[in-house]
Amino acid sequence: MAAADFELGLNSFGEVATDGDRILSDAETVRLLVDEARLAESVGIDVFSIGEHYREGHNDSATPVLLAAAATATERIRLGTSVTVLSTNDPVRLYHEFATLDAVSNGRAQIVLGRASATESFPLFGYDLADYERLFEEKLDLFLRLQQDEPVTWSGTVRTPLTGQRLHPRMRPGGIPTWIGVGGSPNSVIRAARHGLPLMLAIIGGRPQRFAGHVDLYTRALEQFGHTLQPIGQHSLGLVADTDEEAVQTWWRYWQPVVAALAAERGFYKPDRARYEAEIDTGALFVGSPETVAQKIATVARDLRLSRFDLKYDIMHLPREARARTIQLLGSEVAPRVRELLAKEPTNV
Amino acid sequence: MSDILFGLDTFGDVPQDDAGKLVSHAAAIRQVVDEAVLADQLGVDVIALGEHHRPEYSVSTPETVLAGIATRTSRIRLASGVTVLSSDDPVRVFQRFATVDALSNGRAQVILGRGSFTESFPLFGYDLRDYDTLFEEKIDLFVKLLDEKPVTWGGTLRAPLENADVFPKTESGHLDTWVGVGGSPQSVVRTAQYGLPLMLAIIGGAPERFAPYIDLYRRAADQLGTTAHPVGMHSPGFIADTDEEAKEIYWPHYRIMRDRIGKLRGWPPIRRQEFDSEVENGSLYIGSPETVARRMARAIRSIGVGRFDLIYSAGAQPASARMRAVELYGSKVIPMVRDLLA
Repeated sequence: MAAADFELGLNSFGEVATDGDRILSDAETVRLLVDEARLAESVGIDVFSIGEHYREGHNDSATPVLLAAAATATERIRLGTSVTVLSTNDPVRLYHEFATLDAVSNGRAQIVLGRASATESFPLFGYDLADYERLFEEKLDLFLRLQQDEPVTWSGTVRTPLTGQRLHPRMRPGGIPTWIGVGGSPNSVIRAARHGLPLMLAIIGGRPQRFAGHVDLYTRALEQFGHTLQPIGQHSLGLVADTDEEAVQTWWRYWQPVVAALAAERGFYKPDRARYEAEIDTGALFVGSPETVAQKIATVARDLRLSRFDLKYDIMHLPREARARTIQLLGSEVAPRVRELLAKEPTNV
Repeated sequence: MSDILFGLDTFGDVPQDDAGKLVSHAAAIRQVVDEAVLADQLGVDVIALGEHHRPEYSVSTPETVLAGIATRTSRIRLASGVTVLSSDDPVRVFQRFATVDALSNGRAQVILGRGSFTESFPLFGYDLRDYDTLFEEKIDLFVKLLDEKPVTWGGTLRAPLENADVFPKTESGHLDTWVGVGGSPQSVVRTAQYGLPLMLAIIGGAPERFAPYIDLYRRAADQLGTTAHPVGMHSPGFIADTDEEAKEIYWPHYRIMRDRIGKLRGWPPIRRQEFDSEVENGSLYIGSPETVARRMARAIRSIGVGRFDLIYSAGAQPASARMRAVELYGSKVIPMVRDLLA
């Protein structure tokens, strides 16, 4: 990969923002996302992606709908997901929605499919967590088949069968770029390789370099399955501000309560200050000035052979000004600097 | 009568380009977005998009197209026409339309229906034998979701919910929800029972014969102690500069579409004479702005509706002629109907 082609993306989970001391309504946050997509495009960000969650404070339950609104507010930026919870969606509806998004955006739709780390969608839509693996496997098979330009006959255990089915509206020939998002499961890495799909690594804690083993596994598996090399991306959380100090202070204020809640809920580590600073220095938080964040992205890009890095820039109640500043600095300063650093010392691909 | 609402309705029929070639589904969707933008500029009150799962229609997910329209418009209401609730999930439908509502500053409107086509049933794994139960159960759940509070619900055709809270919440606290009805008195009564507004699909025959449904709706609401809202009607039509031109643009494509559906439903092929008679006295509002305005005013007055939505595409009418029809509807027909009713 040429350094000039390295892609920078933004990810949002539709988290409620604040304006001064005021907490925005769900609807205001939804509209803010469209403004942010527009801003991201204006500073040259390559991809804008939205997640899928079903809990209070998150407004990304209808991801393709949000992306379609962003589509008509922009012209060039690509529009994707981070991630789409395939296991509890219907591949047929997803096909409809993403074919429509691709139409509305003039061919800018893409999708990252995952199994989700939050589990709310399973009881909400009547799925059993015991079927976690099978749901994903079967639905991935169907979703990929639907994107081929021919009628689909399919049967499985997780949805009703299809016989010689064609869906409308038709997606563009060859379908849309479809990635697999993985959290750390080697099985998921091998599955992405088996299907010859690009890999998005969700790295939300600890040293990113510990995913090097996954990257090796992925590239070896791709080769064994007879597929060409595919892009590898990383998704991590962070904030860019004018100085390291400002970034570190701002992020701590909003990140600390979120991680404390996760610690209680999912057995995450507790957010003490020393751990926080270690996450910024050598871990998975990309928090700092443009230069600090650019250096850090360039380093992981080399170590993990990345061609794409997505920054999740929203976190519960983060002020809209701080969100906007991250987007501006990521596009106008971090992105060119990362490409410059990678041109000097490229990845090992 | 000046507060009558005027809408446009489409299923995203795939149109021809100027060379007579069918455009792609993607281009058909973008055409709908452009038509809605023009309708908004001309002061049309509502754009409604109907969910279909057939090759000649490009809209299978109305809310995704409506979201695209939301960003480019400022006043027009964004509706489905209809959302096939029976083969969808009420929780997802709420989430998608609440999102459109947020994106559009409160302009979303969902019109729930059972669908006149049946493709969505096998596609999504539903049994047509459950046609009634599916709609009854799902509208029951949907109405609960409209309270925007945690929902506990159980039924036979969807997983139960236990204190489930659904997001995003709307700003107004109420997602505008209508029920679309084709001709079933039970559906009319049920709509009254929930206190929801009623949209009548009148796609053939003299519109006056639907007046009893409105009467039934009002009487049912009265007896059940709910609110009877102004009733809407939606009917097909087309507008061009002259009567002759409108009919000649519409007819060849309408005929193909009508016979394609007729074959599925056991109707004989349509004859030109039937078409002309529908245009004259029935439910095809086709002609010059004056002709269409006169016929619309007559129907609105005789049935007593508060809203009229014109389904402005039926088959592969050329994209440019469709855009002209939208323009004439907004700039000429609506003001003329308002004048006639005043």
